[in-house]
Amino acid sequence: MSSVEIRNLRKSFGPTEVLHGVSFTIPDGAFVALVGPSGCGKSTILRLLAGLEEVSAGELLIDDRVINDVEAKNRDIAMVFQNYALYPHMTVAENMGFSLRLMKRSKTDIRAAVKNVAEVLGIGELLDRLPKQLSGGQRQRVAMGRAIVRQPKVFLFDEPLSNLDAKLRVQMRAELKALHSRLQTTTIYVTHDQIEAMTMADIVVVMRDGLIEQIGRPLDLYDDPKNSFVAGFIGSPAMNFLPVTTEAGSATFSFGDGQSLSLAKFKHLQGEFLIGIRPEHFQQQKTRNGLSVTIESIEQTGAETLLQCQSGDQKVVIVLHDRFAASPGEEYRFGFELADLHLFEAESGKAISR
Amino acid sequence: MTVSSNTRSRRKNLLLDMMLFVICVLLLLPLLLLIANGFKTPQEILVWPPTILPKDPTLENFQRVFSETPLFRWIFNSLSFALLSMIAIVITSTLAGYVVAKFQFWTINVIFTLFLATAIIPFEVYMIPLYFQVKALGALNSIGGLLIGYLVMSFGIFLIRQNVIATVPDELIEAARIDGAGEFWIFWHIVVPLLKGPIAALSVLAFFQAWTTFAWPIVVLTRKTAFTIEVGLANFQSAYTVDLALLSAASAAVMVPSVLVFVLLRRSFVEGIAASGMKE
Repeated sequence: MSSVEIRNLRKSFGPTEVLHGVSFTIPDGAFVALVGPSGCGKSTILRLLAGLEEVSAGELLIDDRVINDVEAKNRDIAMVFQNYALYPHMTVAENMGFSLRLMKRSKTDIRAAVKNVAEVLGIGELLDRLPKQLSGGQRQRVAMGRAIVRQPKVFLFDEPLSNLDAKLRVQMRAELKALHSRLQTTTIYVTHDQIEAMTMADIVVVMRDGLIEQIGRPLDLYDDPKNSFVAGFIGSPAMNFLPVTTEAGSATFSFGDGQSLSLAKFKHLQGEFLIGIRPEHFQQQKTRNGLSVTIESIEQTGAETLLQCQSGDQKVVIVLHDRFAASPGEEYRFGFELADLHLFEAESGKAISR
Repeated sequence: MTVSSNTRSRRKNLLLDMMLFVICVLLLLPLLLLIANGFKTPQEILVWPPTILPKDPTLENFQRVFSETPLFRWIFNSLSFALLSMIAIVITSTLAGYVVAKFQFWTINVIFTLFLATAIIPFEVYMIPLYFQVKALGALNSIGGLLIGYLVMSFGIFLIRQNVIATVPDELIEAARIDGAGEFWIFWHIVVPLLKGPIAALSVLAFFQAWTTFAWPIVVLTRKTAFTIEVGLANFQSAYTVDLALLSAASAAVMVPSVLVFVLLRRSFVEGIAASGMKE
């Protein structure tokens, strides 16, 4: 187990800076997920940690030791790549034992270590096969096995499940989480899938455009997003944002279509804001507060009902955990609790504390 | 599939087969005639129309070739030259091809452009200056002198570069680096095994390039025992006469090693060329 610290990390490719000073600390044995849209710099952080790219400015530390100038092979880090990066001409056993072979460990040691990890991952019978003879899930396990077998200080995962089908992804997610609980090795996991991040990580780092938007435990990000970007990124389907205006002292927040909401707590505010409501926070039951919408389409999945609606000129997505009988075109008023509302400054997107 | 479309496709196939057969015969005929001529008497060679099968087969031409000329020595010279050139070209092409494919610096791109630029300058243009250099080195009439012009092949570098780009993903090299491998280790244990096909194809190309070359050896080699086959065969032709029977027998005999090399590496050669993306 090892702690990882990133201090004011910057990275430029030519004149383009892709990381603009990123800092965070990962405690011993934590599972941290870096999430964000494509191009936000999350994979770059991983590659800098792995030693595959040179740091432009800032410091990377493992166990309080700066590793900026340490070669990739001497960082004691293992990485699992999106496309598995298995050596196609080597068998599963050779792939898994590759790093141990480079460490000049004895053949008996290598065989025992590989066998042990293969049993843990359930790929014991595949050791003599070539990667091309394996399914996607099996290849993923081999790639993980190759990382685990060398018992590194830190695991780096670069979107390792994105090439798998949905069902296998869910299964591998659980397996990875169980494996982490068992090994307790510090893990940094890059994904663009916020569900993966929420379900697996102890800490989630949300990034955008080379900067960190928020760091926190998954449910903290869900409950208290710092800004509209995090609010919109975490949670699926994404949070609904409805523009509102208010006058100082009135406490009435008006939607564009004539509807309004009374928020006494925010009566000191004045100007343009965004009200955020998660789709799952709407309810069929009549409550004091609510929103009238026109239903555009209804998707029944059995467990829940997904409604695509329109409120004024805003799209609103609603998820109900009950069956719902209505037809497209009908108007309906859905309720919500004020405690579930989020308020953001319209211009900056910054959350206003509730 | 309907009956008529079945018949149509069968007819089309038959037509294609016939065309290919004709092309095959046209390609093989000169070779067959050459081999047959080796077994004919000098008189029969001059008969018109030429016969494919000798009427009175004789081994005399072959006996004369082996007793009157140092043919084995020439084959040995050609083999040594072709094999050493092949090894050198494979080594230089794989190393350079891998570096220009995977180490993206502007200086390397400039060097690669220069490699390619050499392909448009015919060897004959710099053959004479090269001759003076070889002479200054005292390497005339030696395999070393021959090799100086045949150590690097710009097409080989290009072929390997294209194959590295197509078949060796960056992640594979990065994974090996993280696993603790050094750069040469990665090249030898990861990159080279993945390039078996193109390396075999390049080997065949490089071997035959050296095996069939004529201009450079005839410039560098003046001593009869140092001749390669091509130069030796040209010697059968004097200013006024050509000993056709002897030339045919010698040519037929020297075809054996080259055919053997091609047969042995045929599969890899086809795979290598197909995998290089040049098919399109």
